[in-house]
Amino acid sequence: MVTKTVTVINTQGFHMRPATVFAGEMGKFKSKITLKTDGKTVDGKSLMNIIAACIKCGAEVEVVCEGEDEQAALDKAVSMIESGLGEA
Amino acid sequence: MLKGIGASDGIGIGKALIFNDKPIAYDEGASEGPKAEKSRFEAAVHTFNEKNEARAERLNQIGGDGEILRGHIAMLADPYMLSQINELIDGGARAEKAVETVCGMFISVFSAADDELTRQRAADVEDIKNEMLKLLLGIEDIDLGSLPPDTILIVGELTPSMTVEMDREHVVGIVTERGGRTSHSAIISRSLKIPAVLSVENALELIPAGSELIVDGSAGEVYRDFDDSVRRRFTEIQKRYAKKAALEERYRGKPTVTRDGAVKKLYANIGSHKELEAVLEADAEGIGLFRTEFLFMDRDSMPGEEEQFEAYKTVAAGMKGREVIIRTLDVGGDKDIPYLKLKKEENPFMGFRAVRYCLANRGAYKIQLRAILRASAYGNVAVMVPLVTRVDEILEVRAIIGKLKDEFDKQNIPYKKDIRVGVMMETPAACLIADLLAEHADFFSIGTNDLTGYIMAADRGNADVSYLYSVFDPAVLRAVKHIIASAAKRGIPCGMCGEAAADPRMLPLLVSFGLDEFSVNPASVLSVRCALAALDGKACDAAAEKALAAGTEQEVLNILSSFRSEAL
Repeated sequence: MVTKTVTVINTQGFHMRPATVFAGEMGKFKSKITLKTDGKTVDGKSLMNIIAACIKCGAEVEVVCEGEDEQAALDKAVSMIESGLGEA
Repeated sequence: MLKGIGASDGIGIGKALIFNDKPIAYDEGASEGPKAEKSRFEAAVHTFNEKNEARAERLNQIGGDGEILRGHIAMLADPYMLSQINELIDGGARAEKAVETVCGMFISVFSAADDELTRQRAADVEDIKNEMLKLLLGIEDIDLGSLPPDTILIVGELTPSMTVEMDREHVVGIVTERGGRTSHSAIISRSLKIPAVLSVENALELIPAGSELIVDGSAGEVYRDFDDSVRRRFTEIQKRYAKKAALEERYRGKPTVTRDGAVKKLYANIGSHKELEAVLEADAEGIGLFRTEFLFMDRDSMPGEEEQFEAYKTVAAGMKGREVIIRTLDVGGDKDIPYLKLKKEENPFMGFRAVRYCLANRGAYKIQLRAILRASAYGNVAVMVPLVTRVDEILEVRAIIGKLKDEFDKQNIPYKKDIRVGVMMETPAACLIADLLAEHADFFSIGTNDLTGYIMAADRGNADVSYLYSVFDPAVLRAVKHIIASAAKRGIPCGMCGEAAADPRMLPLLVSFGLDEFSVNPASVLSVRCALAALDGKACDAAAEKALAAGTEQEVLNILSSFRSEAL
């Protein structure tokens, strides 16, 4: 299992567009991907759960990946969030 | 006969088609077994995806935003949601029940969020749920894209997305339950030149599907159970409209001139860069009001400078040197943009809106002004500032534009050096200080819709006071006259971009007051040109003198209607 904590920087946080792109990318990995933020634990491959979690700009998110391609999954997740999910 | 609001002129005779979103009912108990239910579910998802992908494609092609529909496909592909649905089906639920339960759960979670954007997503899940239920139950959606000839569409409210899908050739009339003369439904029907009657109470229940109807979009009346003499009468009127349209067509490509030779500017109002084609097709001489709110609506975040620049540039360049007056962001009042996170106000029309918001959020305002200034290099662009009440406001906007010009000069960014900056005259305050504002404005444009509401202190949407809301009220007429005269005194042009500029009853007064520019709905351009050509300045002056001496709105209307019947 690998983990890293990152800060959400795009102004709208994890909303429809960024969340769709993120969940879509995470779905390509075999590992289980979990986002932990503000006491909530969210399936990183589930667009609906990400939206329900209302992850806003400035939120600290711990990304947890577990499985055969966990390092690649973590790297991708972290770089996506740190680069503003394509819209910062 | 059913009474409503006449929102788009003309007579439509045809058969009623009811477009109703009734709640969907089914027998919850009847499962065909998990295997069969799952394959029904998968087939429905497949159709759902195909349908929405095709609709998204079509929407993007005709200038809409198809990404919302692609978002629905992504939501329905969510692995967590799918696993929940499959679990319920395994537990013995019918596919419909499983979809309804799981979607319902997300709808309630999203609706309870303390975040506006998340709450909005509940509507998306609601759409997905309803569409999936219809697919599973085999309920045919009425395909607005292919309708029988001579259809009269009966609908709760006409939405922009329905307009996109609608088979325009076969719709001869529109009846809605909601909306007034300035609602979306009204604007859409007028631009499509389809006769429409709005705000007909309980139209969906009162009008039987398939029944013969006559829609009189001018009088705001819908006839059922009529006999042949009524039909003949309306067929005659229909012919007169067709004749009028043919007459108006003769004014295409001609300048706009009154009978005694006064040349006027006849412009069009648009709400999106996508209406450019309609403006060119309508033969407008310029754009007197380019509303920019629509760039900011139906999305999650502010459009950036590039995106705005592209939209403004498309219109500026497309108009090929003809004037394009861009109104800066008019947010607030009835136009909420959720991501701007405006506070709920007790009194939004007297609150934090338009230029007040923009001057308090200069970062965002500068982005818009930069985009407009850059676009000004591609055409004859002017800037219009809405809801001005004080001289300071126009001075501050000018100062921001001045600073941007200095920056552009340093960076060698091209722009129109003499770009004009004008004031939208729509508040009593602006009217009372019109002389002071004229010192600092390159032009005025009267926004009669808000001006009438503010002068009369009456909300036209409130049935108890809407009788007060009339541009023909002596108070409003005096304000209009005063604004035009103040502009003339200072030597700046004055236009009008409200509904009244296209109202044939109002035109003689506007000619007499000396209005320079009439900015109207694209569909009204030729009819206004035709109407102005019939007006003689002296005769208008005489009518105006009488109208201004009248003490009540009714007297004004009587004077104007007798003037029309004499003149025409």
